[in-house]
Amino acid sequence: MPAITLRGVAKSYGGGDYAVKNLDLTVPDGAFMCLLGPSGCGKTTTLRMIAGLEQPTAGTIAVGDQVLDSVEGGLYVPPEKRGMGLVFQNYALWPHLSIRGNVEFGLRMRKVPAAERRSRAEAALRMVHVDAAMDRYPSQLSGGQQQRVALARMLAVNPSVLLLDEPLSNLDARLRLEMRAELKRIHEESGATIVFVTHDQLEALTMATDIAVMNDGELQQLAAPMDMYARPANRFVAEFVGSPPMAIVDVGPSPTGLAASLLRFTESRSTRVPPAAVGIRPEALRLGAPPGSAWHEEALVEAVLPAGSSWTVRLRVLDTELYALSYTPVQAVPGDVLTCWTEEMHLFDADGVRIPSEGSSADPSGDSSEGSSEDRVEAGA
Amino acid sequence: MAVLTKTEPPPAPPRRRRLVYRLRVLRHDPTAALGLILVILLAYLVVAPLVAVISDAFRLQYGDDVHAGQRAGEWTGYYLWRVFRSQISGLLFWEPLLNTLVVAVGTTLFALVLGGGMAWLVTRTNVPGRKWLAGALVVPYMLPSWTFSLAWLSLFKNERAGGQVGFLQAQGVHTPDWLAYGALPIIVTLGLHYYPFVLLLVGNALRRIDVQLEDSARVLGAPRRVVIRRIVVPLMLPALSSAVLLVIGRVLGTFGTPYVLGLPADYRVLSTGLFQSIRDRSTGVASVIATVIVVIGVLIVFTDMRLMREHRRFVTVGGKGAMDRLSDLRGRRWPTFALGLLVFAVSVLVPVLTLLLSTVTRTPLDLSTFTLDYWFAERLPGAVGFPHGVLRGSELWEAAWNSLRVVGLASLICAVAGLLVGYVVVRGTAPRIVGFLRQVSFLPYLVPGIAFAAASLSLFAVARGPVPALYGTTFLLILVMAVTHLPYSSRSGIAAMTQLGREPEEAAQIAGASWWQRMRRIVFPIQKGALVTGIVLPFISGLKELSIVIMLTTTGTQLLTTLSIGLVDYGYTQLANAVVLMIALVSFTMTYLTQRLTNSSLASGLGG
Repeated sequence: MPAITLRGVAKSYGGGDYAVKNLDLTVPDGAFMCLLGPSGCGKTTTLRMIAGLEQPTAGTIAVGDQVLDSVEGGLYVPPEKRGMGLVFQNYALWPHLSIRGNVEFGLRMRKVPAAERRSRAEAALRMVHVDAAMDRYPSQLSGGQQQRVALARMLAVNPSVLLLDEPLSNLDARLRLEMRAELKRIHEESGATIVFVTHDQLEALTMATDIAVMNDGELQQLAAPMDMYARPANRFVAEFVGSPPMAIVDVGPSPTGLAASLLRFTESRSTRVPPAAVGIRPEALRLGAPPGSAWHEEALVEAVLPAGSSWTVRLRVLDTELYALSYTPVQAVPGDVLTCWTEEMHLFDADGVRIPSEGSSADPSGDSSEGSSEDRVEAGA
Repeated sequence: MAVLTKTEPPPAPPRRRRLVYRLRVLRHDPTAALGLILVILLAYLVVAPLVAVISDAFRLQYGDDVHAGQRAGEWTGYYLWRVFRSQISGLLFWEPLLNTLVVAVGTTLFALVLGGGMAWLVTRTNVPGRKWLAGALVVPYMLPSWTFSLAWLSLFKNERAGGQVGFLQAQGVHTPDWLAYGALPIIVTLGLHYYPFVLLLVGNALRRIDVQLEDSARVLGAPRRVVIRRIVVPLMLPALSSAVLLVIGRVLGTFGTPYVLGLPADYRVLSTGLFQSIRDRSTGVASVIATVIVVIGVLIVFTDMRLMREHRRFVTVGGKGAMDRLSDLRGRRWPTFALGLLVFAVSVLVPVLTLLLSTVTRTPLDLSTFTLDYWFAERLPGAVGFPHGVLRGSELWEAAWNSLRVVGLASLICAVAGLLVGYVVVRGTAPRIVGFLRQVSFLPYLVPGIAFAAASLSLFAVARGPVPALYGTTFLLILVMAVTHLPYSSRSGIAAMTQLGREPEEAAQIAGASWWQRMRRIVFPIQKGALVTGIVLPFISGLKELSIVIMLTTTGTQLLTTLSIGLVDYGYTQLANAVVLMIALVSFTMTYLTQRLTNSSLASGLGG
């Protein structure tokens, strides 16, 4: 399976505005890469450029050794000759063809004999569990089934590159959960390189092998999901990945209140650069008796929002609103005053770029999901 | 871990490189080429005729050099002078203009009162048979507009124009000229044809008004009368002004009725004046008149658009309050129903029955002179130009075949072109091409058909470059018919393609389908329904079309409409009526069936 490489890719619709600015990105062979970002960040444009449906204004796009687009080299391969698969957000099933007709279409275009077409279409539909509806028409299927058919339509031609444009966003919550597992399985079974566009960070974290966060047409960070969660490269990524989002407190030149308290604490930990902002994830903000060396302050409970398996607590700490996320029951009621504490902070410099903590030069990647905290400000160090 | 600082866009690749790349892309995507072809075609078929007619108005034509003292082909103000300021300009222009205004205003008022009243009746009252009335009262619009004028003649014609007199005159009642010809009959017959137009527009608006708006006023203490005056009427203004302007626009370009009812009394309007000038081969004068009609038409549509835009700020969104709340007529329910029935009788039953009876009686409507000769006779004594029943001989069938062929082809071209315009507009990557197509395909809407036909004559009557003279050919007729209906078909083509979106085609492209395969297997099959309505609606309206056809046909190619007008010219009343009845029958049946089969509303096909 080939890797997809984008070199210096830019896309402008004229007028000096760039949907994608100078993008360098390599999707490794066999990866499940998520392009993650808010709407309008250029992720769908990037996907459509890989598919050939849009043309870059500058740069090169290649799969393996084959150059698909090169504005500088005057090379272009049209979408129908790229042999990729693309699943659209609204599925784009052809209403006048039966499910079988939809799935067989790509094979027909490849002049596959009828008998083989039939069996391959059936196999693809079996893979997504809609083989029972084969002779019905798209309008007779539920949204989830249509989504599966759209997937089967692409899987039938066995593409080495599969592109997915927010394919789960029109499904209800339960189906979405199911399809996430399904897509992960299909990725493993087919071995295809998958590029998946989404604005849902949870979707990216659960499925991807690599995540590329984009904003404003620029790549913000490219990393494995748990690395990105543990060490967001800048403020944008820190705020975008994680739910509820990380609280970021601006320190400013003459900090007061919470900012001053946090700054005093980080300064006592001797970081090389004084931070311009300090971030705390809600799940890292704990309530109760702090371990000796952790940062802690008094907090006024303003609201407690139970959600079954977790509790979100709105706190007022030194006149600043903070949220704490707890996975053990919270007994407090509004008006109570508790102690809140944390051992994990994320520091950012004046440009919003992450400040690596002391001794994190040998940044271990990978297994960072469980308590790996080398890169955080360690309260006990 | 990749940390990225702010990136700047890369330097643009050299121009030549970009061009090479762009050409590679274009080679694989014919949309751009298709767009360019459509732009050239529309520029040639829509813009060029208008330019030609305007330039003809300012250039000295062959044969006029003696009078004007200039050489043919030179720029001249001679025609402007002749039309606006000379001794005959009263006859040529001012009188027809005045008559046109009188007819337009009269017809509009007539249609407004009748259509508005009937709209209120069928949307807001509990009159018995409401649904049936709503359908029945639209029927006049399905008949050719000059059906009514022929029926009028059959009733009121006097001895002035020669030929057979009408029913009243035959009974010994003298019908004065003002009743038989001229402004009054034209206003009444056109009004009867156009009131359904008002009914549809105003009815739709009435249906959309949120009843809660009226209820609020009632709750605040306004009596019913005040509610209507202060709330309903102001909310109806956009629909009313639109109806008024559209009717005026239609009347401006209408030909059949003023021709049949006006010319015998020398009552000219702009459209018949234009026709006369073309027949007299005074091209320069015709060009000036055509230009004036074009300008008035453009002004009308622009005014309408501006009013609509201004009124958009009080668009009422129908929520649950938009449910039907009908005013109870109580004891007046049946009298009101009788009124509706009367309107239906006057606008449909009387004209159609009059025409039908006139074709089976030697003396109009005198059943003692019953005969089927006008339909079936092998020989009709006294009718030299058409010496047999209409169903005998080849004339009717040839004309019917011509109508079918010409109108059918024009509709097919129009529908396909409309879809292609829609395709390019939705797929289009070049904003300039898209903008041009959107606007120019809509341009014929601004120009009354008769003026557009005159414009086409200016361009195509003589050989220009490699294009031979096309005057009198069916080819030209087909082209002009297709172009005049293009606004409707391109609008619906754009709507259909926008609704479809580009994804289904892109999905096929990803699946490996070439452009032809995509068009053949995906786009056109999905748009089958839109294509069929795109053919049928222009077909129905084209079948009734007279003003364009009369300008462009010669005796060689008769259509049903020109055949009937020809018979009127000969004074063969019964035969002419028989042909018009056939047209009315076909057009009514097709409209009815289309509405039944496709659930499309007539309002969307108001292209008649």
